[in-house]
Amino acid sequence: MNERRGRTAIVGTGEVPTGRFPDKGAISFALEAARHAIRDAGIEKDEIDFVIPTTAVFSFQFSNELTTCRLVEELGLRNVTANATVFSGGSSSTNALRIASALIETGRARTILFVHCDKLGTGVSAQGGIDLFSTAGISMEWEVPYGQHYSTVAALATQRYKYETGTTDEQLSAVCVSNRKWAELNPNAFFRKPLTIEEVMASKMLSTPLRAKHSNMLFDGGAAFIVTSADRARELTPRPAYVLGEGGVVTHFAYHQEPDLTRFGWSRAGRQAFAEAGIGPQDIDVAEIYDSYPIYQLIAFEEIGLAHRGDAGRLHFEGETAPGGRIPTTTDGGMLSKGHIGAGGSVSLLVEAARQVMGRAGPRQVPDCRFAVETAVGGTYMDAQVTILGNEIPRVAR
Amino acid sequence: MSSDAASPPKPVPIVQPWAQPFWDATRQHRLVLQTCNACHRPIHYPRIACPYCGADDLGWREASGRGTIYSYTVVESNAPSAFIGDMPYVVAVIRLAEGVQMLSNVVECEPGELRCDQPVEVVFERLDDAFTLPKFRPVR
Repeated sequence: MNERRGRTAIVGTGEVPTGRFPDKGAISFALEAARHAIRDAGIEKDEIDFVIPTTAVFSFQFSNELTTCRLVEELGLRNVTANATVFSGGSSSTNALRIASALIETGRARTILFVHCDKLGTGVSAQGGIDLFSTAGISMEWEVPYGQHYSTVAALATQRYKYETGTTDEQLSAVCVSNRKWAELNPNAFFRKPLTIEEVMASKMLSTPLRAKHSNMLFDGGAAFIVTSADRARELTPRPAYVLGEGGVVTHFAYHQEPDLTRFGWSRAGRQAFAEAGIGPQDIDVAEIYDSYPIYQLIAFEEIGLAHRGDAGRLHFEGETAPGGRIPTTTDGGMLSKGHIGAGGSVSLLVEAARQVMGRAGPRQVPDCRFAVETAVGGTYMDAQVTILGNEIPRVAR
Repeated sequence: MSSDAASPPKPVPIVQPWAQPFWDATRQHRLVLQTCNACHRPIHYPRIACPYCGADDLGWREASGRGTIYSYTVVESNAPSAFIGDMPYVVAVIRLAEGVQMLSNVVECEPGELRCDQPVEVVFERLDDAFTLPKFRPVR
């Protein structure tokens, strides 16, 4: 089981600020992020032999251009054997990393560039965004006719979780405040002004008990990372972000089919990832947890073993996840404060996890960060994906 | 609630052929569940083959129409275009007595008085000539 641990690594990342850029085409976010990642990795562009774009959900036409090799041509990459889109909504980054690692481990590729960009802040209208996300990953036969959309999806989990655990609205709101404190330190984040629990609680009710400031907002942006073999990574940097463990559980397509809206598949996915990595939740220095809504940050945080059931809200409320806290969490500000850019939500988190273990997180750098856990999820929380990165490969006693 | 003349029509279910008997039944104000004739488990939503044992010998059985609210939410703003005029409306995951879950709306209720695990029963709401949606109301 453990022979995959640390055989590949992320060696470079790139990112553009999240925001509203009506005058810029989505391609510019992709190219800028890719060029940053190539420079950050310290490689020549023509070392890249495989390109994995992911889908930009604002435009089918533009996504087709990414699928049909536009990035290879625009970047002038001359040694690319294949360009293949990997898309699974919000878990696209994890699945791309998983596939990239497998290609490298089997010798099918040496150096892989993954790129995401989207234009959800200015490429669609606000109501258009709601309408787009009221059909994406929502059953056209069994859910759409009842007015299901992304706010109700998150609200249904929140309501049941509150009922089962006694978690309060203040504790849910504390997730937004914790992530905002990190965003204040991130120049690429959109929301950087301090936020209070009172402000979150005073914001407009969307779908009970979910309020406007519990909700992510859609923006433009992009990010990229480069994956290569552990051997090549050691030539490039003394602190690569080794891929130590991965775990995943697919639970449903239609949200109402999920048997436990307060747990999903996180527990099993977390156990798989930690077993493969050869470390435990107690070894984690930084947690990058998918946070499209506060409820999902609380559930994943608990289920992968960072807190007892029903205790994550209290830890967020008491500042344990904020800068200076015991478990620095979602340190780029997350979708709640950095901004939601489609499949890019978890690309940002994976890029941030890599930056943290590589020691390149600037003012957000967690001291002595060795191990990071990152979570991602697509559709209507259809899967639970857990990735563990580290700048060393744990030796495990047999 | 206000109705907006410009708002798009209500989305109707995009029906898979094997689910047609479900929608034929709701038009007659009957709630039916697909059932596997091999392993005898109730199935919802209807599948092309049994998701539990893989058998393709599937039939239909009358459902009790009773269940509980697994979770619910009252939509107060930012609804999809076709539902803006319906706000506030309740979206809920219903656990039917037969053990399957379905998404629906809870109607004929005071939204603020709903709670998880509350007993509900089916009612039928006509959408158009082709579709009647099963919805639920609190058991009084």
